[in-house]
Amino acid sequence: MEYKVIPWKFKWCRLILIVTMVVLSLRLWDLQVMRGGEMRRLSEQNRIRVKKVIAPRGVIFDKSGRVLADTRPSFNLYITPEDIKDFSQTVDGLAKLLNIDREDILEKLKMASGFPPSFPVKIKPDVTKDELAKVEAHRVYIPGVSIQIEPKRNYPYGKMMAHMLGYVSEISSEELKIKENKSYSPGDYIGKYGLEKTYEGYLRGVDGEKRVEVDAMGREVRTLDVIDSIPGNSLYLNVNLDVQQVVENALENKKGGIIVLDPKTGAVIALVSRPAFDPNKFTSGISKQDLKAINADPGKPLMNKAIQGGYPPGSTFKMVPALKALDLGIVNDKTGFSCRGSFSFGNHSFACWKKGGHGSVSVHKAIVQSCDVYFYNVGLKLGVDRIHEMCEAIGLGPKTGIDLPGEIRGLVPSTEWKRKTYKQPWYEGETVSVAIGQGAVWLTPIHLVQLSAFIANEGVTFKPQIVNRVVSPEGKTVKTFEPVMKANVKMKKDTFARVREGMKGVVNEPGGTAYSSRVQNINMSGKTGTAQAGSLEKGKHLGDHAWFIAYAPAEDPTVAISVLVEKGGHGGSESAPIAKAITQTIFKANTGAKEAQTNENR
Amino acid sequence: MRIDKRRLYHLDWILICNGLALFAIGILNLVSATSSFYSGSYNFIVKQLVAFTIGVIMILVILHFDYRVIINQSKWLYWAAIALIVLVIIIGMAAGGARRWISIAGISLQPSEFMKPVLVLFLANMLYQKKRESVSLGLKDIAAPMLWTLIPFFLIVKQPDLGTGIIILLTSLAMLWFVGLKKSTYAILGVVGAVAPFIVWRYLMKPYQKMRVLSFINIDADPAGFGYHAKQALIAIGSGKFFGKGYMAGTQHKLQFIPEHHTDFIFTVFGEEWGFVGSIVFFILFLTFIYRCLKISLNAHDELGSIIAFGVTTIIYLQFTINVLMAIHLAPVVGIPLPFISYGGSSLMSVLASVGLLLNINMRRYMF
Repeated sequence: MEYKVIPWKFKWCRLILIVTMVVLSLRLWDLQVMRGGEMRRLSEQNRIRVKKVIAPRGVIFDKSGRVLADTRPSFNLYITPEDIKDFSQTVDGLAKLLNIDREDILEKLKMASGFPPSFPVKIKPDVTKDELAKVEAHRVYIPGVSIQIEPKRNYPYGKMMAHMLGYVSEISSEELKIKENKSYSPGDYIGKYGLEKTYEGYLRGVDGEKRVEVDAMGREVRTLDVIDSIPGNSLYLNVNLDVQQVVENALENKKGGIIVLDPKTGAVIALVSRPAFDPNKFTSGISKQDLKAINADPGKPLMNKAIQGGYPPGSTFKMVPALKALDLGIVNDKTGFSCRGSFSFGNHSFACWKKGGHGSVSVHKAIVQSCDVYFYNVGLKLGVDRIHEMCEAIGLGPKTGIDLPGEIRGLVPSTEWKRKTYKQPWYEGETVSVAIGQGAVWLTPIHLVQLSAFIANEGVTFKPQIVNRVVSPEGKTVKTFEPVMKANVKMKKDTFARVREGMKGVVNEPGGTAYSSRVQNINMSGKTGTAQAGSLEKGKHLGDHAWFIAYAPAEDPTVAISVLVEKGGHGGSESAPIAKAITQTIFKANTGAKEAQTNENR
Repeated sequence: MRIDKRRLYHLDWILICNGLALFAIGILNLVSATSSFYSGSYNFIVKQLVAFTIGVIMILVILHFDYRVIINQSKWLYWAAIALIVLVIIIGMAAGGARRWISIAGISLQPSEFMKPVLVLFLANMLYQKKRESVSLGLKDIAAPMLWTLIPFFLIVKQPDLGTGIIILLTSLAMLWFVGLKKSTYAILGVVGAVAPFIVWRYLMKPYQKMRVLSFINIDADPAGFGYHAKQALIAIGSGKFFGKGYMAGTQHKLQFIPEHHTDFIFTVFGEEWGFVGSIVFFILFLTFIYRCLKISLNAHDELGSIIAFGVTTIIYLQFTINVLMAIHLAPVVGIPLPFISYGGSSLMSVLASVGLLLNINMRRYMF
């Protein structure tokens, strides 16, 4: 150094360089070594999106393999919160583009707020082709919005079988909170009604996963790996679509419920409730207006009247006191009561439906012509508790255990019931009403099909069963539902013979209340019922519920039927023809019954 | 004038090799930074290599003239640079908004980059006499240098290019310190230094610049904007872990989580792909380069060379340090390129011109 330099300044410089090196190294040590693992994880989380590959739900087939519910591809609209750059730009932009309520979007996003921001939130399921095109065209302006093709539940027959099949729909926030639904996340579909609900565990597949790499805009760059989804198991029903079709048509534009089952196994051949709804509307997220309309409908389309509608059974109920009285020997086939058109008890007069009266009535005639006075007498002789006891034995009252959700109990009163419920003693006069299926008796169509099956099968009933078997996607039978015996009551052979003769006569003897519905080539047995919807005493007619229970063939029944047409009028004219059509379809005895002068009433 | 073989011998080959190593790293890194997983556009690389070639030609031209001759022209260079900056501002205003670039025959130039070495020359010319006489600078002595610094400083900050402004201001101060200041001057500068940030904050900084500072203090202050980018930069570097993700395998920048990853945030690319080990090697290369530059200043033939070398070294050191600190979230985000590494022709040419000056000074250290 020839010139005066100031060495201490260079020493300072050297020191600064050393300090720089130390600071940078320490910071990098902290970032890359101490926190490196965490940072690596964050960077992976940045770029890798786990996308759900939704498993197709199991298919539902009828007995002969016709598709009742399947899946079809649909385009669903998602928002991934993490990929939103400007919140209002994306949300408002989307709301404007597709004319969706902004609040709806916010609500959906809120529902998924417990999930990581990389979790795509379903905003609108099943968007139309037009909407799809709009979204694709404006994609750049609404970052975070994406479209995914996913399987969607499809019910090809629409309203038909709606109450049996039920529907699937997006899981609600309440359902998400339930422990059993731990494996679900927002936007997942879950069976909400009908078989879809009962057999959710079988029908739901196992969703797969696709790991994709996305860039900072949320665009998929490449697929890293895929775990395939496993489709759900299929259900084969006991239902015969041809019979179902006939039953559906029979109830068109009416209200009511019908069940057809095999008394020997409990297999449900057809089940209908009307009015019905279109389950397809629910799967694509039912609009508020549609839901409002359905809820406001006085016919209650969402109610499965076959298992949820409690009605007075009317004269169909007469089979209960008939069975009990014959079995106990209180009456026999020779016992006769005289009917003059009314029956006095206490200071009250109970009318028979036939104003002129039936004259001298035996048990056979009483069933065939549905004489009220006969059963007023029998009822009084039995007492309400023995009627109740018989119902318990048959299974009228408790739930039948059909594999559908929401079944209700029925009610057959007893002295104990009245004491417990009203803290009042039972009055004999009430027994008179109960004996003909009025008063406090409330039963559902499925209860009454069990009554029919009980008689058809001579004391044995089975749990009504819609699903026959569960079949895996590979075609292996996972589970077969064997008949489950519900009632097995030992009664005198004679008792059943008398009652069955009576029920055969209802349809096949001139003067029988359903004589006009007799079927050629095959004997159908049945019992009509016309139940007053209003109170019996006041006689204020709100319209009568038309009942008909039946089984066929009379000799060795393989079908039991229960038909209810709500406020339909007379059982013999309204409901019996439906049973006839059903029987004809099943036995293919498609020859019109002869016109006959009828006595179609009770 | 022929190139003297003796002078060629006196060229600082170590510095040249060190610089070439850094530039090689820069090019390799740029290839990764500008390509996606599938395809790369070599447009950036070509432009960078063209800029490098021009830079090398600039070095040769600079070496050709004695730095004492060059210094005589510093006034013209200074005013030329000022004029270009003003031109950029005028054109920018006409185009409806400030900007930093000027396009000449399709080549974008950033005049503020060239202001850095030019200002060093200009100030060195004013100060070397004082240094020779070992005069400690009083307030009167620093008034002129400060004025000539603040003029380009304000112009550049107005562009707005806060980063370059800060670099030239700090470089001037460092040069004044290098020449020597009176105690009273230190005191006054200290007071001004304490007050200035408030004035700068209040009157000079644009809202987005303030946001950057705020999100530096609290990374969550602007989680969707600068804070997000600062976090992504940290994640990029941190996720490199000890050995890095491997060359061309950095996901953070390739998937565009980091803005400006080929310019100001270029270090995140390197840190992610080469990890702790690579980064340390990189730092060592850089700091040895700067140390080598300092040595040129120390061993210069005269005070003039010493001051020029010191000023130029300061520029390179400050750019390197602030850029890296910014990437690792130890400094607020300002637009400062990483010498040799960042994409940008003007920046590279400016750095190479600076290196030319250093080599010039070193080459002529035994001359009288």
